[in-house]
Amino acid sequence: MASLDNIVWPIQRYMHSITNALNLERWSDFLTDCCETRFNYKIVNYSPEIRKNQVWANRNYAVLKKGFELLPRHNSDRSKLTRQIVIKDIELSSDESVAKVISSFVIYKTHLDDIDSHLLSGVTDLYAIGEYHDEVSIEKDGFKLIDRVVSLDTRQLDIGSHKIF
Amino acid sequence: MDMKTKSEKPGGKAHSRTKKEWELKPELPDSHLVSTELFTSEKIFKEEVANIWHKVWLPICHESELPEVLDYRTSGIAGNVPIVVVRGADNKIRTFLNICSHRNNIIVRSPAGSLKNAEPSGNPNHMTCMYHGWQFDATGSCVEIPREKAGYQDRICKESLGLRQIKTEVAFGGMVWINMDDSAGPLRDFIGGALDQMLEQLDTEPLEIFHYQKSRVQCNYKLFFDTSREFYHDYLHFHNRQTSMTKSGYFDQEYTQFKNGHSVSGFTTVDYTSHQGTSTRTLTMPGLPPNGWRHSTIFPAAAYNIRTSCVRVNIIMPISDRETLIEVRGFGLKRDTAEERSSREIDYCSVWGPFGWNLHEDLLCAQVQTQAIKEGSGALWNVIAREEGNKVHDEVGVRACYEEWSRLMNRSTVNP
Repeated sequence: MASLDNIVWPIQRYMHSITNALNLERWSDFLTDCCETRFNYKIVNYSPEIRKNQVWANRNYAVLKKGFELLPRHNSDRSKLTRQIVIKDIELSSDESVAKVISSFVIYKTHLDDIDSHLLSGVTDLYAIGEYHDEVSIEKDGFKLIDRVVSLDTRQLDIGSHKIF
Repeated sequence: MDMKTKSEKPGGKAHSRTKKEWELKPELPDSHLVSTELFTSEKIFKEEVANIWHKVWLPICHESELPEVLDYRTSGIAGNVPIVVVRGADNKIRTFLNICSHRNNIIVRSPAGSLKNAEPSGNPNHMTCMYHGWQFDATGSCVEIPREKAGYQDRICKESLGLRQIKTEVAFGGMVWINMDDSAGPLRDFIGGALDQMLEQLDTEPLEIFHYQKSRVQCNYKLFFDTSREFYHDYLHFHNRQTSMTKSGYFDQEYTQFKNGHSVSGFTTVDYTSHQGTSTRTLTMPGLPPNGWRHSTIFPAAAYNIRTSCVRVNIIMPISDRETLIEVRGFGLKRDTAEERSSREIDYCSVWGPFGWNLHEDLLCAQVQTQAIKEGSGALWNVIAREEGNKVHDEVGVRACYEEWSRLMNRSTVNP
């Protein structure tokens, strides 16, 4: 069984590993770190404009997987997104089978072809900030992400993104 | 109608063009061409604000954004003129210029809220200008001027210093519409029959907003509005190619034009299962068959789009000749259960929203198009010449839009 002291470092490595997979657009690596039967991914925020919590994405493993496969067939802004995380809290469930992990994130966009590639490719802008609220299953052979809620502070995302955060 | 220049013949050898050939005006009627000057001229933009945006009905927000008495919602109209929408104690929704009668400070600063909450410099139930404490009630009357008598004696008085009220109606799914022209006719006359096809979905029972997104896009507003006015650009969207264009009957959809520049595409159904990762939809809006789709555009600022379980309303608001605010709202039924609402959210976000498949591509396109359409770039004409018997890929909707533009601006789209 895990104890908090014993899993803090491995969890931190795991969180940075899945962040790295997203940054490198190694979608299948990211999915390998997610639980195929239970994983759910949401993007949410609170809108002061409508004074409501709102959902901007809600996808299970299968929908995410198909989405990754279809990405090359869509006309997308192909700018690179770079996520940086700071892990703020790790809390173990009473049976020590699940860790709840809260990380703040910053996402930078390095432009490629979204506006004018001649003038702007290579420019990096701050794109979004928020928090990941993750649930990580602690299994014999490692960790599996079973739930991720991306809680956005940023509510103007320019033209939006086909890539998840 | 063939698109050919004087030096070309159909069936001739395709070739790139010299500068002279490039600049030759295509042999098309003026109604089938738009000079790119319409997208780059600051002078034309200022005229558009006066002759179009301050003359026609514009949707601003939804009644469910101010559900309680004394709730407010701030916004901006063409050129980002500040306005505030307020639900009065009498439950009536009114709109005002959000500009203080005294020294023109913006009065209500938050995007939304309740006047029941006191501001640091004012009483509750009023709109209070923080600068000098002038207060206005929810009907726009000026009700408090600090030390009024001492400063103004009887030269001016609060009774004559109310806010500028803007014509307001709530209709067509509970949208709040405004018109800056005090002499404008009723909203229903302006809309004509352009929303009739979806009244059952919009007005059978109250709608409620569940999704709000805004994007400041670097493009002239007409370039984005154009994407709402034709469906030929379904080629842009892999999602639409998979779910719609592959269906039999797609190319037979009627595309109908209404007075005042509005357009309506015919009812159709969409096959969501054919886009991998997007499942079929069972929850619908009142009177809409499963997987049904309806679309109406209201000149110059709005598009109503209903896909099975949700209503989307786009509001397109120009900030300048080269910047546009796109506000996108998603609606379900007010009486939705939590499960129904969640289902609508999933449907909505798969296509629309900042992470949906479609809107991103529309915004990307309008922004990239803007990079080419600039003075001196060589981009001279937007060609809107497709004629397909008023079917879905006919660009008649874009032409109708510019015909209305010409009427209101008293300018040609070819030699503006």
